[in-house]
Amino acid sequence: MKPRFLPGGPALLINRSISILVLADIHLGVESALDCAGWHLKSYTDNRLQRILACIDEADPDLLVILGDLKHSVPRITWQEHTELPRVLDAIRRQVDLRLLPGNHDAGIERYMEPEEILNKNGVIIDGTGYLHGHTYPSPDLAGHLIVAGHHHPVLHLYDEVGCSLRGTPAYLLAEVDEGQLRMDSVSSSTRLLLVPAFYEYAGGIDIRTIPESGISPLSRSIRINTAEVFLQDGTYIDTLGSLRSDPHYRPSA
Amino acid sequence: MLPIFHSLLTMKDRRGFSALYITPLRSLNRNMLSRLTWWCGELGLSVGVRHGDTTIAERRKQALKPPNLLITTPETIQSMLMGSRLRQHLAGVSHVIVDEIHELADGKRGVQLAIALERICEYAGEFQRIGISATVGNPETVGLCLCGERPFSIVEVPVASRLSLRVVFGGDRFDSQVEMIEEAIEKTGSSLVFVNTRSVAEAIGHHLIPRGDVEVHHGSLSKEVRIDAEDRFSKGLIKTLVCTSSMELGIDIGHIDHVIQFGSPRDVARLIQRVGRAGHRIDQISRGTIIATGFDDLLESLVIARRAVMNRTEPVSPPLCPADVIANQVAAIAVERGECGIGTIQKILSRAWPVSDCKGLLDDCINRMEEHRLIRREGDLLIKTGRARKYLTTNLSMITDERKFRIIDYVTRRTIGTLDESFVVGWIHTGAVFITRGRLWRVLEVLEDAVTVEPAPKSMGELPSWEGEQIPVPFEIAEEVGQLRRMRNFTAYGADEASVTYINRILSEMEKNRTPVPTDRLVMLEHSKEGVIVNICGGHKANEALGRALSILVSARFGTSVGIEVNAYRIFLRLPKTVGATDISEILFSLEGEHVEAILRIAMRKTALYKWKLVGVAKKFGAIDSDAEYDKISLHRLSEHFDGSVIEQEVYRELFSRYMDTKAAGEIISRIRTGETEVRIGPLSIIGSEGLFSSRDLIAPPDMDQAVIAALKRRLDAQEVILACMHCRSWKKKTIVERIEEHPECPKCNARLIAVVKPYEEENIQISRKKKKTPLDMEVEKRMLKSANMVLSSGKRAIIALAGRGVGPDAASRILSSHAKGDGFYKEILKAERKYITTHRFW
Repeated sequence: MKPRFLPGGPALLINRSISILVLADIHLGVESALDCAGWHLKSYTDNRLQRILACIDEADPDLLVILGDLKHSVPRITWQEHTELPRVLDAIRRQVDLRLLPGNHDAGIERYMEPEEILNKNGVIIDGTGYLHGHTYPSPDLAGHLIVAGHHHPVLHLYDEVGCSLRGTPAYLLAEVDEGQLRMDSVSSSTRLLLVPAFYEYAGGIDIRTIPESGISPLSRSIRINTAEVFLQDGTYIDTLGSLRSDPHYRPSA
Repeated sequence: MLPIFHSLLTMKDRRGFSALYITPLRSLNRNMLSRLTWWCGELGLSVGVRHGDTTIAERRKQALKPPNLLITTPETIQSMLMGSRLRQHLAGVSHVIVDEIHELADGKRGVQLAIALERICEYAGEFQRIGISATVGNPETVGLCLCGERPFSIVEVPVASRLSLRVVFGGDRFDSQVEMIEEAIEKTGSSLVFVNTRSVAEAIGHHLIPRGDVEVHHGSLSKEVRIDAEDRFSKGLIKTLVCTSSMELGIDIGHIDHVIQFGSPRDVARLIQRVGRAGHRIDQISRGTIIATGFDDLLESLVIARRAVMNRTEPVSPPLCPADVIANQVAAIAVERGECGIGTIQKILSRAWPVSDCKGLLDDCINRMEEHRLIRREGDLLIKTGRARKYLTTNLSMITDERKFRIIDYVTRRTIGTLDESFVVGWIHTGAVFITRGRLWRVLEVLEDAVTVEPAPKSMGELPSWEGEQIPVPFEIAEEVGQLRRMRNFTAYGADEASVTYINRILSEMEKNRTPVPTDRLVMLEHSKEGVIVNICGGHKANEALGRALSILVSARFGTSVGIEVNAYRIFLRLPKTVGATDISEILFSLEGEHVEAILRIAMRKTALYKWKLVGVAKKFGAIDSDAEYDKISLHRLSEHFDGSVIEQEVYRELFSRYMDTKAAGEIISRIRTGETEVRIGPLSIIGSEGLFSSRDLIAPPDMDQAVIAALKRRLDAQEVILACMHCRSWKKKTIVERIEEHPECPKCNARLIAVVKPYEEENIQISRKKKKTPLDMEVEKRMLKSANMVLSSGKRAIIALAGRGVGPDAASRILSSHAKGDGFYKEILKAERKYITTHRFW
């Protein structure tokens, strides 16, 4: 398999026998939720759609896989989502087939999608790679595969001698997982996890160094820290998670 | 007031509020009310006060039966314009008096008031406008703010000639300084002791309150406590009040014999205003004493006192075309009228001098307000929306209220302190570490009104404890202090013997240590353990501009973050060990005055100050509610949302007028370039280390690549490799890249044919030593020889390249043959690593 990183997303293209474009955590319609929280921003849905279409255009994939949290509001669909979602989905469908691994924010999304577009929320294998949103235990079928997941919104802070030199940039985390923690049978080849950064641009995200302790999902707890590596959205290799966590300028608390 | 009473009494038909008396403070309102009630009673006129503390019953009474004279604040005028009945009463206005007008005209409140007066004009027609102030350097400008194009005249009563000022040195220690205050207050009858911050007021109060005749008065105390202190003072029950600017404006609390200013008053206007509280009658002399608390403080006090006697008050500088005030008033007019033609708004604004010339801006503001759904535009008509009224009631004031966030220790669930909103906006995100109560804390969660934290062990020195915005020392004063350090004519400035002795002690110590004294003609760059101190007598705003410009250039050139702390006489740049004073000097000379502003536009973006101002302006534009939940969004990334908008434009306008003086900074730079000001490098001096920095920030590298490259360098330096001699083939050594010399040699045979392998390839060394090799082994050996040849010809560069993740001899040779230098070399390594990652078998 050959991955290609599309920093304009962030998005990931996975090539095996077919090419699959992967997007995570788009959170369409977030503006109406922010409106209730005191942030009055105009809808950026069109801007996000343009970014999605640009990724499709650049990658020319056979399939688009959205790793959940396509929409934002739970438990109800907001007026903004109701009016904007059909348009966005149609515009995407005109370019490429799409599949959704439903996330914790996707309640009610069935109304706007074709049944075959919605996959099992516990994850599926497509063309040899496992995909899921990441808030649930993954299906046991995914054992021994590369699992590509969203939900965690990983971001990286870099520190130097003086202070924080780069704050909150979206990043990928690649690591082996402890199958036992995921209630999977152990298999001959290792099961690996790739956490994809959020497509949604206002995401504060989780400091990638703290994901293993974040308790945010079964996946996060299962990460084998000594095997974990961190990449930027353009695929630049930063370092191993272990050495980022032991950076003398940064110390996670005990 | 007497001529106005006369005019009110002779008026044929008095209706509504005939006269408005506007002051900046509620306490001043209360005070005016008690002073005017007697007069009005005798004259048969009614008088009332209306502001935030007025009860609903009282408001209702005023609405039904308006008093002839209404004492109020600018913000209450805004809320009165929202009510239809009160608008009718405002239609009766024939006189408007603005008291302490310098206080208002210097900021956005004044601009808002200027527009409000024009809005009243729409109902009342023209009325008489009177502005009152004790300290204005430029009354013409203030007159324009109040009257616009209308003719006006200025009545001046000389103030400075009645000032009697003394500067004394209070000693090095706080105890001796407080003793000095005690001596001073014992000599005279009643006195006010002015201090610059609330915490100092509390500290002095702690020492003096046990005496029984001293009370403390500042803005954090409750209204009741303050009124009680004022009452007891005016009745003579206590003879001293320790106060902050809360007592600066003309609240009448009876006779004051003497004013003590503790620490430098920072500027001339403040000193005149404060000392003017003593005597406070036209025929009396105002006596004041400044108790200075250190070297900077003493020299600064001497300069300010002399300027005060010479009546050289700083000019008031009203903000010109502040977009957030325009936006606020557009919404206010829309709510006031329900709907309104854009032409009418233009007409109203054009009469208010500070915004009379901002036509394009009005359109931008309207568009932006429309985006936030506060108004709707239909053709040339603006219509209010449902949200507009709520927005307006929470945004009547142009003063930025700061929310307080409690700090909750997650472990003990106890509140351990509070954080200002500006600090939360600028610095706090999950995982951030900050210092409070002398300990380090890590942020776990940002809630609506609290931040949960856990104790953090050692960390990067990123987040300082926070000091609020401080009173800036103007360029002219700091420069004159520099001149005084150079000329040393202290007695000409009225320094007493004790002060001169102290100053000479410091100066002779400087001489003994062979550390030159920085002056207006000498900039000293001093090394310290954590960075470089740039001693420039430039005042806060120029130093802020210079310091930030220097930081961004340093961080761009060296790819490092730079911590910055600034006061009126020095800039402290917190730097990594690799950057020294010579680098700063070089960059200082490369700087051109006219580029400073452009550089700063880039530099400011990611800083705490920028984000805080952005939030403030966005709130006034209705983009963010005053109680918005900060945990719902990444402010860091949201700021991009405002790129290129009128909101961003206003943030820069404010930053470049209120916080940074690029003109003065440019002036300092051009003096350095022409050699008029000399720049020298030296060790840390006692003047340089005096410290007391008022603002802190962190400038991150402008370009993401630089932070990434810096991280890459650190990773490669720490990479474990094995060196193996390919000549004698009997030596190998495991080490990290950082420890390897420029051209490594085999200690056994002295050859420089050294191959580099990664720890996981260690077996390759055995393979290369085999006597009999398979074709595969031959291939391994060939690769090792290639690596060794590269190290032979390129030395450490080759080793660094080979240390890259998945970078083998072939990829390394491509990197080296690109001949890229500096960051370019490292970018080539990153490129090779990316290529390896996307093609490596592991996926």
